[in-house]
Amino acid sequence: MNKIVVGLVFGLILGAIDGATAWFYPEARSLMGGILVGSSIKGMIVGLSSGWFARKVESTKWGVVVGAVLGLVFAYLVAAMQHEHYLEIMLPGFVTGAIIGFLTQAVGAKPATSSAAR
Amino acid sequence: MGGAHAKDYDINTRPVGYYRCLDPDTAIGGSQQPFPSTQLSLFEAAGSGQPSDALERLSALYWKPVYRFIRARFRKSNEDAKDLTQGFFAAALQRDFFARFDPARASFRTYLRMAVERFAASEHASANRQKRGGDVEFEPADAQAAAADSPEQIFEREWQRQLFGLALDDLRAHCEASGKRLQFEIFEAYDLADSERPSYGDLAARHAIAETAVTNHLAWARRMLRQFVNERLRGSTAGQRELRQEMRRVWT
Amino acid sequence: MDLSDSVLDHLRHVAALPDLSGTRYEMESEIGRGGMGVVYAARDLQLDRRVALKVLDAALADEARLIARLEHPAIVPVYETGILPDGRAFYAMKLVSGVRLDHYLDGAPSLAERLRVIRRAGEALAFAHTRGVIHRDLKPQNVMVGEFGEVYVMDWGVEAVAGTPAFRAPDARLDQRSDIYALGALLRFMLPASPPPALRAIAAKAMNPDPAARYADATALLADIERFQEGQAVDAWAEPLWHRLRRFASRNAVLLWLLAAYAGVKLLLFFLRLF
Repeated sequence: MNKIVVGLVFGLILGAIDGATAWFYPEARSLMGGILVGSSIKGMIVGLSSGWFARKVESTKWGVVVGAVLGLVFAYLVAAMQHEHYLEIMLPGFVTGAIIGFLTQAVGAKPATSSAAR
Repeated sequence: MGGAHAKDYDINTRPVGYYRCLDPDTAIGGSQQPFPSTQLSLFEAAGSGQPSDALERLSALYWKPVYRFIRARFRKSNEDAKDLTQGFFAAALQRDFFARFDPARASFRTYLRMAVERFAASEHASANRQKRGGDVEFEPADAQAAAADSPEQIFEREWQRQLFGLALDDLRAHCEASGKRLQFEIFEAYDLADSERPSYGDLAARHAIAETAVTNHLAWARRMLRQFVNERLRGSTAGQRELRQEMRRVWT
Repeated sequence: MDLSDSVLDHLRHVAALPDLSGTRYEMESEIGRGGMGVVYAARDLQLDRRVALKVLDAALADEARLIARLEHPAIVPVYETGILPDGRAFYAMKLVSGVRLDHYLDGAPSLAERLRVIRRAGEALAFAHTRGVIHRDLKPQNVMVGEFGEVYVMDWGVEAVAGTPAFRAPDARLDQRSDIYALGALLRFMLPASPPPALRAIAAKAMNPDPAARYADATALLADIERFQEGQAVDAWAEPLWHRLRRFASRNAVLLWLLAAYAGVKLLLFFLRLF
């Protein structure tokens, strides 16, 4: 499958998992539904962008960086909407983004017109 | 000698007749003249039921080596060693001496040497029994044997010496027969010189020929010598494999 | 005539030298003895370059034809085959300047370099096998590494002389499987003092006394070596679980670190909240 799909899939899964960890915060439990959905969407957006980037640039390092930065940015936006829990949202979001970025680099097929792989 | 250049003998295009050159089982001929094999193999001579032929061929090559070996190995005097050598050759020419030889186990040369050892040891033992009071008297072995070589090495060395000597005789005879006396003289003066060798220039002047001719004559003679040696070798080995192994040993 | 020792030795030497008159070559020196002949360095007077001349001392026109047919980067190219004026067959080939494998190890090459040499040699073997040519005497003395790092396998098709038992398969017939055995022996020879168990297992499989239990062909052996180099599981070796996990961890190190970072971050935040 191509890298954009890879990004969407992993973004969804990892975003959902990240959102699910909110369960450990009792005050957030009541909002679990919304958190899950929001986190999944956040993950998918990061995954989509990382996947697009991975199609253009073949570099594990930069893929991780891009994913991490995107993850951080969108996590900030979400936290900004809450006006709180910045650290608890942005830090995991940062690492989750990095993981998504790595996976889009490592997995999936590049388009045929790109420069020859190994 | 005139002759075609090596590139005319490209393996892939040579006419079949020239394959004789390569196969030691047929004649080892020079590339210029096919060389008839006058050497009966030892084994053929033995098998032909004419013991004198086989004895003659065996002695020509092995008499001296056996003699020297006995002297070195058993510390015999000159006379005793001669007697033992004669005795060995007489005894060895039972028909099955050749039949019992198995080329897969050792070279014929080694087989013969071991037979000499057995023969001499048993003669020594019976001689001892007859004498009163003990050891056979012995003289110090001669100077060459006193060097650090083992009796086995002496045996092989003498055998090589005889081999080359016989091949040289063949070469000399061939040169006489085909009018190549000049070639042989040059070869003798240079390659058979014991101490100082003359230079090519000296030889050229001595015989009133060009130096390149000297080079060519020497090359020719050496080539022929090689063929004669290999021919003699073929006559005293029992098959391709042994021949190749012996050739390897002879040509360093 | 009774020849003195010195004359005898002289005769043996000069009559053994190949006579190159009438050929385009000029003798330089003897380089070595291998298989069924002697190799000399010579000069090709027409092309003004140095070549190696192998002079065969027996009826082995076949060997020359065999070699000339094989064209491969790891097989020494044959320039010409012919017959010398003295009747011996010879072939002229590229003069390789480099080191034989047994001396190559003196330079303490890395494991990757050693495996590279084995792979080149194995590729030559695989190629030759597809052409129906069996080496029969593969050993370190028959492999050279050239000045540019290129690898050459030499002395093809010659029945092993009794001097190399360590690399000779115990098989009755010498065929492709015995070449595989020799390749395994070569691999084992090239391995450093404490080799990775996977490589030892590959060599052991190739050197199995039962020919049917060895690798089916050289390509399979090389594939296993490649798997080792990629950090994948090797056919020849049943690795213990902990080793498999370690290998998995090293292959997926980045991902595992990222996951660990995530877990670490989460735990850190969780504990911070407690204060």
